[in-house]
Amino acid sequence: MAEGKQVIVKVKRQASPKDAARWEEFALPWRPSMNVIICLRDIAEHPVTREGKQTNPVSYDSNCLEEVCGSCAMVINGKARMACSALVDQLEQPIRIEPLSKFPVIRDLTVDRQFMFDSLKRVKAWIPIDGTYNLGEGPRVSPEVQEKAYPLSRCITCGNCLEVCPQVNENNNFMGAAIFSQVRLFNMHPTGAMHAKERIEAVMGDGGIEDCANAQNCVKACPKEIPLTESLAEINRQAWKQALFGWLVG
Amino acid sequence: MSATATRPETSYLLRKLHSLSGIVPVGAFLAEHFWSNSSVLVSGPKYDETSQGLQTIPFRLFVEWAFIFLPILFHGGYGIYIWLRGESNVTQYPWMKNWLYTFQRYTGLVAFVYIGWHVYTQRWLTHGMSTYSEVAQQMRNPWAFGFMVVGVVATSFHLGVGIWNFLCKWGLAATVRAQRAAGQLGAVVGIVFSFVGILIVVSFRYNWHPFASYLTQK
Repeated sequence: MAEGKQVIVKVKRQASPKDAARWEEFALPWRPSMNVIICLRDIAEHPVTREGKQTNPVSYDSNCLEEVCGSCAMVINGKARMACSALVDQLEQPIRIEPLSKFPVIRDLTVDRQFMFDSLKRVKAWIPIDGTYNLGEGPRVSPEVQEKAYPLSRCITCGNCLEVCPQVNENNNFMGAAIFSQVRLFNMHPTGAMHAKERIEAVMGDGGIEDCANAQNCVKACPKEIPLTESLAEINRQAWKQALFGWLVG
Repeated sequence: MSATATRPETSYLLRKLHSLSGIVPVGAFLAEHFWSNSSVLVSGPKYDETSQGLQTIPFRLFVEWAFIFLPILFHGGYGIYIWLRGESNVTQYPWMKNWLYTFQRYTGLVAFVYIGWHVYTQRWLTHGMSTYSEVAQQMRNPWAFGFMVVGVVATSFHLGVGIWNFLCKWGLAATVRAQRAAGQLGAVVGIVFSFVGILIVVSFRYNWHPFASYLTQK
């Protein structure tokens, strides 16, 4: 650090949901293998802006630091991504860090992703196995289904697919690619399939699958490389089949 | 599951109808329209013969409204509603399919305005009995000719992207590989339709009939 190499970081800050956003710039001492979370931690240790003004630590969510928990999604240099895997040496400086824009800001970079959790509830993204008696073993899952299901199960509800989607905005309630991918996952499971119709019914409601307009940004932004466009197509097919044949043949 | 459980909402049905109407009947009519108008590539009288055949079909008004005018009005009108509910972010994420998303909206608008003008000048003002000489007369105006070329290309592009969208959005091309193939199909349709459309427009403007030799062959 004696050589004085610096990392310049600009953070979009907002004290509370009602306050106006403002930018603060920080100059941090460079260290090897720095990522954006390290930058935010360094700011917390020494919350002084580049101009030498005392400030407070930046609020942000993070946990696992290995792209598994899904909490540290942010807009870094204009692109939605996980902060933990955003390596400083690969980023243009000054590094601009903003909160996700499609969710309400609680403070600084901390956003409220309740919309996604509510959507998961709406589409019943789970397999009901609890009962008043032992239901016994479930059906076996073929290796073929397992291979398709595993990538879908990696979803971390980070919200990047919603952030980059032109259809997710204040004008509608589009639930976003991650949700439909979870519908596919649970409809694919032999026990989950018992509630497939209820899930498909939910995706034909307001903010449902029909609002997807095939811009296919979701699949590009997904940090877990989930085949989201395949999931959307698959759920689209399940939906129109149910809409058409549900009415025709019950 | 209750008895009404599988009833989808109206917005779902309208959106599906919007997607379907772009292929059938609107896209199908475009194919028919280009095919019939290709008669001009043989000769002016051949074009008049073909268009007279179409202008005198039974139940003409019903067919026009049910399969052409109303579907286009619905597809265009609902398309604008869809546009207003989205927020393009192609400057932030300049990815190819995101560009197609944006282009699909602008070409749709251009096509809609163009079709309105085209129907007004060649269907309304001619009382539905447009002839080769009337179209050729209109094409002598460089602005009309230019607008016709722009309209043909925008419409063809919109159909090409629309075919890809349709195949993805109905889950008919579900895998990444199938979606790539659907995209290639859309590209071929867009390019072929643009090419044939421009040939037809050029044929009217320059009195140029590349297949005229068909008439003299024995």
